[in-house]
Amino acid sequence: MEEKVLEILEEYCEEALDYDGDNMMEEGVIDSFTVINIVSELEDVFDIEIDAKYVVAENFRNKEAIIELVRQLIDE
Amino acid sequence: MKTNFTQIVVIGYGKAAGEVLKYIHDRRADYGYGLEFIEHEPHALSVTGQICMERGIPFASMPDKRELGDYLGEIREKTLIVSASNNFLFPAALVERENITIINFHNALLPHYPGRNAPSWVIYQGEEQTGITWHYVTAGVDEGSIIVQKSCEIGPDTKAYELTERLMDLACEGFYECFDAVLRENAQAKPQEVAPGRRMYRSTEIPGDGFLDLQEKPEKLYRLLRSVDYGKSGIFPPLQTEVSGARAEILRYRKIAPEKRQEGADMLYLPFADGQLLKIKYRML
Repeated sequence: MEEKVLEILEEYCEEALDYDGDNMMEEGVIDSFTVINIVSELEDVFDIEIDAKYVVAENFRNKEAIIELVRQLIDE
Repeated sequence: MKTNFTQIVVIGYGKAAGEVLKYIHDRRADYGYGLEFIEHEPHALSVTGQICMERGIPFASMPDKRELGDYLGEIREKTLIVSASNNFLFPAALVERENITIINFHNALLPHYPGRNAPSWVIYQGEEQTGITWHYVTAGVDEGSIIVQKSCEIGPDTKAYELTERLMDLACEGFYECFDAVLRENAQAKPQEVAPGRRMYRSTEIPGDGFLDLQEKPEKLYRLLRSVDYGKSGIFPPLQTEVSGARAEILRYRKIAPEKRQEGADMLYLPFADGQLLKIKYRML
């Protein structure tokens, strides 16, 4: 799963792979439009629903947070 | 450089508001105006608050229309209000004040597609081109004289959020071009030729009335799906359809090559004329 998430990030926001901070949105690594693309791709690839309540800066603060979000949704 | 404006107020949300705000802040030394930002519609992924904090720009959140109207009504100095992705309708009494000039970014080529959610309507109507307009604000909605316009193509797979992003980039380009002329009050604005009975798109309207009629051609369904696709922003409620006589809600969709077809529960595949498939995932209600 983790590898697949990273592949998606590589496709839509390569900078996210090297980012080691904890606020990609505020630091301009990722913008809201890229988040939409990533969410759409994650939903399709993992056949999950990412509700709007999860689409917040906190869950997209770095690649680890995104992986954790997907893990939680798959486990639900 | 000289301007009679002593204050600039930026109102809006999203990328266009953020970039415009940064630009105006960077140009303060040229003109000496004061600057403040008002957030009228908070957004989960908005970074305008952060921009204000980093640059020391006064920031106020005013989601209440009356509060915002009252606040702006108290302005006494000569002020330019820059409305960038903002859905607050400025009261006529404010618009007509001598000391207030308001410019607004509209996400379509006025006089076409005035009102709300223009990117959705241009996709839904099958337009191949759209653009942005910066115009002066008058008492009528999206009726003021045009300061600058920029256009772009709409691709066959363009989704509403992708077009919105492109339009925000164009809005920034247009703003940078006209900013000095607006400040010096010598912008060559062109009055709009508003046709009688021009359709005004309202926030309550949804393309296709929010219903995906599976009897329609996949090309038309795809246009409708793309036109309301703003990710999770909730601008429109999920489209609905009817499957086996029962109501269903559309979860997601995608154009795929036939070899990528994978059968699954609550999934539809509709063939396009060119052989590709429209994959639709739904949930029964």
